[in-house]
Amino acid sequence: MTRTRRLAVGLAALLLAAGCSATGRPVDLASVASAQRPEPVGVVVNPPTTTGAATQVPECDPAASLRPSGLPAAGAMPGGSTMRKIQDRGRLIAGVDQNTFLFGFRNPTNSTIEGFDIDRVHEIAAAIFGDPNKVQFKVITSAERIPALQKGEVDIVVRTMTATCARWVDINFSAIYYVAGQRVLVDKASQITGVDQLGGQRVCAAKGSTSLNKLRDSPAPPVVVAVDNWSDCLLMLQQGQVAGVSTDDTILAGMIAQDPNVKMVGGRFSQEPYGIGIPKANEDMVRFVNAVLEKSITAGSWAASYEKWLIKAVGQAAPPTLKYRD
Amino acid sequence: MLTAEATRVSPLRRVTRSAATTPGRLTVIAVGLVLLTVVTGLFGALTLQTKQDTLGELVDHREPLTAAAQQIYRSLSDADATAASAFLSGGNEPAVLRTRYEYDIAQAGAALGKASSDVGGDSLAAEQVNTLSQQLPVYTGLVETARANNRQGFPAGAAYLREASGLMRSKILPAAEKLYEIDYDRLKAGQAESRSFPWFSLLLAIGLLGALIATQLFLTRKTNRLINVGLVVASAAVAVALIWSTVALLVSSAQVGDGERNGSDQVDVLVQARINSLKCRADETLTLVARGDGPGYEKEWKELSVTFTGDGDGNLLRQAKSLASSPALSGEVQQALENADAWVAAHRKIRELDDTGQYDVAVAMAIGGAPESAATAFGKLDKNMITALNAGREEFFIQTKRGGQALTGLVPGVAALALLAAAGIALGIRERLREYR
Repeated sequence: MTRTRRLAVGLAALLLAAGCSATGRPVDLASVASAQRPEPVGVVVNPPTTTGAATQVPECDPAASLRPSGLPAAGAMPGGSTMRKIQDRGRLIAGVDQNTFLFGFRNPTNSTIEGFDIDRVHEIAAAIFGDPNKVQFKVITSAERIPALQKGEVDIVVRTMTATCARWVDINFSAIYYVAGQRVLVDKASQITGVDQLGGQRVCAAKGSTSLNKLRDSPAPPVVVAVDNWSDCLLMLQQGQVAGVSTDDTILAGMIAQDPNVKMVGGRFSQEPYGIGIPKANEDMVRFVNAVLEKSITAGSWAASYEKWLIKAVGQAAPPTLKYRD
Repeated sequence: MLTAEATRVSPLRRVTRSAATTPGRLTVIAVGLVLLTVVTGLFGALTLQTKQDTLGELVDHREPLTAAAQQIYRSLSDADATAASAFLSGGNEPAVLRTRYEYDIAQAGAALGKASSDVGGDSLAAEQVNTLSQQLPVYTGLVETARANNRQGFPAGAAYLREASGLMRSKILPAAEKLYEIDYDRLKAGQAESRSFPWFSLLLAIGLLGALIATQLFLTRKTNRLINVGLVVASAAVAVALIWSTVALLVSSAQVGDGERNGSDQVDVLVQARINSLKCRADETLTLVARGDGPGYEKEWKELSVTFTGDGDGNLLRQAKSLASSPALSGEVQQALENADAWVAAHRKIRELDDTGQYDVAVAMAIGGAPESAATAFGKLDKNMITALNAGREEFFIQTKRGGQALTGLVPGVAALALLAAAGIALGIRERLREYR
């Protein structure tokens, strides 16, 4: 008994001594400085300019296209024409988007690609084949639009594409089938009220888009976060990785339709006339597509398509008047 | 002072002085031999114990961890491909794909728990486990967000899925692959260690035996007696210990070598082939999700598919077949080769369909359940590989376990023999010393 007590006292003394001499800090086994945020594939911050001031862009009216010369009957394209080649192939190859809500998007509930742009593609297919579904959709990014046309991988590009003089150098455009304007999209709680307040902030735009160049040329230039697809911008805004998104109001309206917690601010600070991109050599195709557009506007299918996709998000609009340079 | 030092002789001097006489020399020899025996016995027993521990470690930790790391890779890669398939199928995702994804994630989580339980102070392995543990919840979060958006018909869902898949392919899967490599290297190192022969212990024992024989020769010369029973017993004990442990170690090493050749090496080749086939499956579905080859999925498919099909030297399944130790295993790998060829044919068809505008047919061919679909061929191939992998693991287990069994009883045996030898030496020399009194 006494021995155990002595032992206990000794042990206590030892422990006390050990306790007194304790120095240092508790060990941290798992220290994380900050969480690594996931990012969409292919994000580039402040990408280098590609369309340079190096090449002199000739003065032009980007909205003026080639005058149509009558519409041949469906399934009877004139021999030797570009349309004849497409008819013989059995399908129209269209470069489109599957990520821009309302214009060109893959409907996840039935896996089909739909939208205002896609309706234009079906109209052209119907004019060539008499069957609107003889189409092969090739999904391309904004940056791939002109290369895809130049390499002849696609017959047409219908992908919220702004007709500009710089682009006219490389490809042809159809007449303008819609006119959008660039605006800014922010979180509902954001204090930003316009493009002039974006200076130094992270703002998202798609690579190779006119929107990106406009942001760069803005008097208060933001930190441009360039992504492959417009839906990546909505994702980054939802994840709090950018302060805003800036592009055509139509695309932004598609984002608001997907997320009621974002809003558009400021007015339009640009005019974005949308044209259908066609390879530079295929002038017959340009005239043909313009004839299809004219028919679509006069027959009311343009208005029906507008009502289906855009009227709720963008409001009333009349079809644009088609302009030609002959 | 001087006189005191002269009378009090230092113990060292006394020993050296007495060693000049025969009995003194015998005492020194006896003490030396007993010490040498004890040291040799102790060292030998410890070495053998370490060897046995290493063998047990191979079966209980190293190989299971390698398998767990492999499982993490497989499950996560399959989860990625399954999420893409579910997206492709459109509408409400099929229950079978949802279940498969959930199972993959659960399995990856369980395997990750096991893998993180023993990174063994390896900072590189700890880093991989850290990446996996941090990013896996982020990945599943993104997939669920994608799912929520998809159900509402919003294309933002596709963006979340792309981000999730990008995270998987750029961070998570490379970490899992690295972890597997680290674990496999550690397994290889463990196998090399348990196959190595303990030369130092062997030299000690041979030295001891030599010393015992020399002592007996010395005694015969000094005392004219042919045999000293104690020393003969000691020599016999050392010789038995020497022969027993040498034979047992050689047998054990051969078994471990067999387990390595027919087991773990085989498994590694199959794992490499499987990892590549999983990457290719994900590429196949993601090309269809992207509706184009923007990110180069098809390019990767072409680069990697040669590692499990075709006649090239890089065909790992062919390698595995030549390594196969049993006809059953080689038959399984042969079936894997055939199913891989069927898959490649299906893949070609998918690309052809997609490139000629028959997207819906291509999707059905990729994810549908038809007998000639890519999903069916890939499922069969994966099943073949699992069977072959498990057979390889079993082979490893049996051989390595046998290697451990060859050492059964060796440690206490060697210790007892060493004690016997020490006793023999002490008694044998004491008997001779008595004659000098």
